[in-house]
Amino acid sequence: MIDQKQKHVGNPKLTEIALPVRGMSCASCVATVEGALRGIDGVASATASLTAEKAFVTFDPGKVRLADLEQAIRDVGYEVGKEVLALQIGGMSCASCVTSIETAVGSLPGVASVQVNLPAGTATVTYYPGLVTPALIKRTIRDLGYQAAERLEGAAALDREREARRREIRRQGRWMLVAWPLALVVMLGTFQDVWILPRFVPGVLANPLILFALTTPIVFGPGWQFFINSYRGLRHGVTDMNLLYATGIGAAYLIAVINTFFPHAGFGGPEATFYEAAALLTAFIILGRYLEALTRGRASEAIRKLMSLQPKVARVLRNGAEVEIPADEVEVDEVVVVRPGEQIPVDGIVLEGYSAVDQSMITGESMPVEKRAGDEVIGGTMNKTGAFKFRATKVGRDTALAQIIKLVEDAQTSKAPIQRLADLVAGKFIFWVHVLALAVFLFWFFIGYARFFSPETRLMLTPYTLAGVGVFGFALLVSVAVLVISCPCAVGMATPSAIMAGTGKAAEHGILFKGADAIEAASRLTHIVFDKTGTLTRGEPSVTDVVAAEGWLEDRVLRLGAAAEVNSEHPLGEAIVRAARGRGLAVDEPEAFSAIPGHGVEARVGGRMVLLGNRRLMRDRGVDITAFRGQAERLEEDGKTVMFVAADGQVAGLIAVADTLKEHSAEAVHILHRLGLRVVMITGDNRRTAEAIARQVGIDRVLAEVLPQDKALEVKGMQMRGMRVAMVGDGINDAPALAQADVGMAIGSGTDVAKETGHVVLIKDDLRDVVTAIEVAKATMRKVKQNLFWAFVYNTVTIPIAAGLLYPWSRQVVSPEIAAFLMAISSLTVTLNTTLLKRFVPSLRGGRALAGIRRELAPLVGVPH
Amino acid sequence: MRQSSTVRLAGLLGMGIALAAAAAFYGAATVAGYAPVARYGGALWVGLLAWIITMPVLAPLLRRRA
Repeated sequence: MIDQKQKHVGNPKLTEIALPVRGMSCASCVATVEGALRGIDGVASATASLTAEKAFVTFDPGKVRLADLEQAIRDVGYEVGKEVLALQIGGMSCASCVTSIETAVGSLPGVASVQVNLPAGTATVTYYPGLVTPALIKRTIRDLGYQAAERLEGAAALDREREARRREIRRQGRWMLVAWPLALVVMLGTFQDVWILPRFVPGVLANPLILFALTTPIVFGPGWQFFINSYRGLRHGVTDMNLLYATGIGAAYLIAVINTFFPHAGFGGPEATFYEAAALLTAFIILGRYLEALTRGRASEAIRKLMSLQPKVARVLRNGAEVEIPADEVEVDEVVVVRPGEQIPVDGIVLEGYSAVDQSMITGESMPVEKRAGDEVIGGTMNKTGAFKFRATKVGRDTALAQIIKLVEDAQTSKAPIQRLADLVAGKFIFWVHVLALAVFLFWFFIGYARFFSPETRLMLTPYTLAGVGVFGFALLVSVAVLVISCPCAVGMATPSAIMAGTGKAAEHGILFKGADAIEAASRLTHIVFDKTGTLTRGEPSVTDVVAAEGWLEDRVLRLGAAAEVNSEHPLGEAIVRAARGRGLAVDEPEAFSAIPGHGVEARVGGRMVLLGNRRLMRDRGVDITAFRGQAERLEEDGKTVMFVAADGQVAGLIAVADTLKEHSAEAVHILHRLGLRVVMITGDNRRTAEAIARQVGIDRVLAEVLPQDKALEVKGMQMRGMRVAMVGDGINDAPALAQADVGMAIGSGTDVAKETGHVVLIKDDLRDVVTAIEVAKATMRKVKQNLFWAFVYNTVTIPIAAGLLYPWSRQVVSPEIAAFLMAISSLTVTLNTTLLKRFVPSLRGGRALAGIRRELAPLVGVPH
Repeated sequence: MRQSSTVRLAGLLGMGIALAAAAAFYGAATVAGYAPVARYGGALWVGLLAWIITMPVLAPLLRRRA
C-alpha cells in the first residue's frame, strides 16, 4: 500500500497518492469512485480498494490539484478522509506572521487548508493523512521561528496558553529593560547639544564611539530576534514584518557605524550617525510587541471564563455511599449528589430533591431556575438553595459547557469574509512595501535629492538637522522610514481581535456564534423568519377561554371537562386537565370513560353523563349548542380549537384551547421592527390559525401551510429576491431552512448545543436573544470596521509622509524612530478600541429596548418587503 | 526536502536578479556621475530590496512548477 506521495517511476511528471475514501461499502462504490477519478483530465490511473478504504491515484500535478480529486470523490457521494490538526502557535506578532505560516504550511503537499488566528495564537490545519504528518506541519512552523504544539483541551490548554503568553511577556519585558534605558541614553547623547540638554548631559555621551558602544547591545540583543526571524522566513520563501524591522534597524545601524569609523566615506559623515534611530526603533518595536502580548490575551477572556467554570469534583453514589471523585471521571447514568452552594459537575436529570439553580454563567438568565424531579441540570451551573440527586446524562466532552467552549473556540478561530480580505491585503502588503521602498529610494537618489534637498532639512519632530547628509544617506533614510512606518500589524489585528471579543460577549449572554461569518452575516440582515410552533409559541396547547352556559360557573365547566379527560392522553385533554389543576380545582376520577376518535370523549362523572368534544359529537348526540355558535366562531377565527361540554344532554359551556405565545415573542418582534427588520412567520399550520398568531405578535408577513421540506425553499425564494434572511427555529424540522438561511438561529437548545443545525445557537428559550444576537453582531462588525478604518487611515496618511511627499514644502523627513513610534501607536489604538467592546451592553439588558428609537437602530431605508 | 530545495533555488535565482538590479543601478549611478560611496551603497541597498522582493515571488512560482 502506498501512502506517501511519490514520483511515478514510468513518467517523472506523474505522482501517485493514496487518498483515504470513506463511505465505500460494495464493489459498485469502488467502480463509482474509480470512474469519477478516471474522468478527470490529468489522472493517468485510479484504483480504489474497498478493504483499504483508499483510492490509489496516479496523476499529473501540473494538471490536477488534490482538491480536484477530492471534489470528484465527493461529487459521487463519498468523503475523502481528512484530519484536522489544532495547534497552539507561539511567537506570532502581526498579520504577516499569519501569512508566513499560512503560506509555508499551505504549500506542504497534502495540506488542504490552513487557518491561523493571531489573537488566539492558534492554527487549524486540515490535511490528508498519509500525504503529510502533524510532525512535518509542526516542524515547518518551527522552522519559521514560531513555537508550535498541538492544542490541548480544557484547563490544560488554558494553562499552556497562559504560560506561553506569560513567557512572551517576560521575554519582551526583559528586552525592554535592556533596550529602553540604553536607547534613552543614546537619544540624550545624540541631542546633547540641543536646548537645555548641555547643562545636564555630559558631552562625552555625544561621542559617536560611545553611541556605538551603547547601541550595539540593543541591535544585537533585543533587536537580534528580528534578524533571526527574517532569515527563517526567507528560508521558506516568505517575507514578514521581521524583515521590515531588520532592514530598518540594520540600515540605520550600518550607516551610523560607517559614518563613525569612516566619516569621510560620503554617507553623511558625523552628522548622519543614526544610532538613536537604530536604538529607538528597536525599543519602540519591542514596546509594541510587549503591549500586544499583554493585550492579546484579554481578547480571549470569554473562553477563559468559560473554562474556569468547569467543575473540578463531583460527589457520586457508589455502592450506596457518597464518594468524591474528579468531575471528569463521572460516568453516564451515575447518580450525583449536589448540596446547597455547590457547583453541578455534569449534565443530568434531577431524580429527587428541589432547588434553585443559578444558570446565568451558561444561559445568561439573571434569575435562578427552579429544579425538581425530571428537570434538566447543566454542568458548571451553581446550586443555590436545596440539595438534590440527579442522574448524569452527559459527561466529559459531551456536557453542554464543553460543547459551548468548543463552539466559542471554533468561532474565535474562524475567519470572517472581511478578515480574509484584510489578511490578503496585509499579506501582500509586505511585498508592496518593499517595492515602494525601492521606488522611493530610486526617486530620491536620482531625482528628488538634486531637485529638492535643502541644507535646512530636519528630522520631523526633532531639532536634528541633516545639512551634511549625502544623496545616498538621504534616500536611504526616506526608504527605511517607509519600510518601518508601513507595518500592517494594525490591519492584521483589526478583525480577529474584534471577532474574539464579540463572540465572547455573545457567549456571556447565552448566544453562541458558530463562526465569524455568522457574525458578519447577522450584522447585515434585512428579514427575520420565525418558525411558529415551538419558537414563537410554546408548541403545546393551553386552555385560553372557558365560557359557561346560564346557570353554570366557569370553574365547574372546566372541572367537569377535566374529569372527563383525566384519563385521556390526547394533547387537548391534557391541556384541560392542566388548566383545571392550575386553577386549584380538584379533578374527579370518572366512573366510566370512552374516547370517540375524531370527536371527543364520553364519561360518567358523579353520576352524570358528560360529553366533551366538537360540534359533530354534539349534533350526533342531539345536544343543542345554538347559544354558543357566535362565540365559538369568534374563538375559531382567532385560531383556537373549541370543545363543547355537555352534561346529561344539556350544553354546560365551551372550552377553547390554543397553542399560546411564548412570554417574550411579541416584545422580541416589536424590537426587531425597531431594528429596521421585517419579520416573517413560517408554519405548516392552516392560514387562519397562523394569521391569528401573527396578529397577536405583530408579524409583517405569514407563510402558512408550508410543509417542513418546503421551508428551505421559501427561505431560498426570499434570498433570491435580495433579502438577507435569518431563520429562527427549534433546529429539528427546521434544519434545512436553518441551513439555507444567511443566518440560522437555533433557539432553546438547552443542553444539546452542539447538535443543533444553524449558525447561531441561542441557549435560552427566549426570543429576545435574537435581538441581542443581532445587536452583538452589529456592535462587533462596527468595531471591525472602526479598527480597519484606523489601521488603513494610519497607513494611507503616514506612508506618503514617510515617502517624502511633503518634503519639498516642509523640508522635514520622518525619522525611523518616529515611524516605529507611530507604528506601535496604530497597533495599540486598534487593540484598545477592541477592548471597548467589553463595555457593550445589549439594549434589553441596558433597559434601552423600549426607550425610543436609537439612531443606530433606525429602520433601514429600502428594505425589500 | 523538495520544498526546501525549491526555496533554495528561488533564493539563488532571486540573488541573480538582485545582482542584476544592483549592477543596473551601479551603471546608472556611474553614468549620472555619483560619488563611489553613493554608487556602492545604493547598489547594495537596491540589491537587498530586489532580493527581498523577488524571493516570495519566485518561491511559489517554482513550487507550482515542481
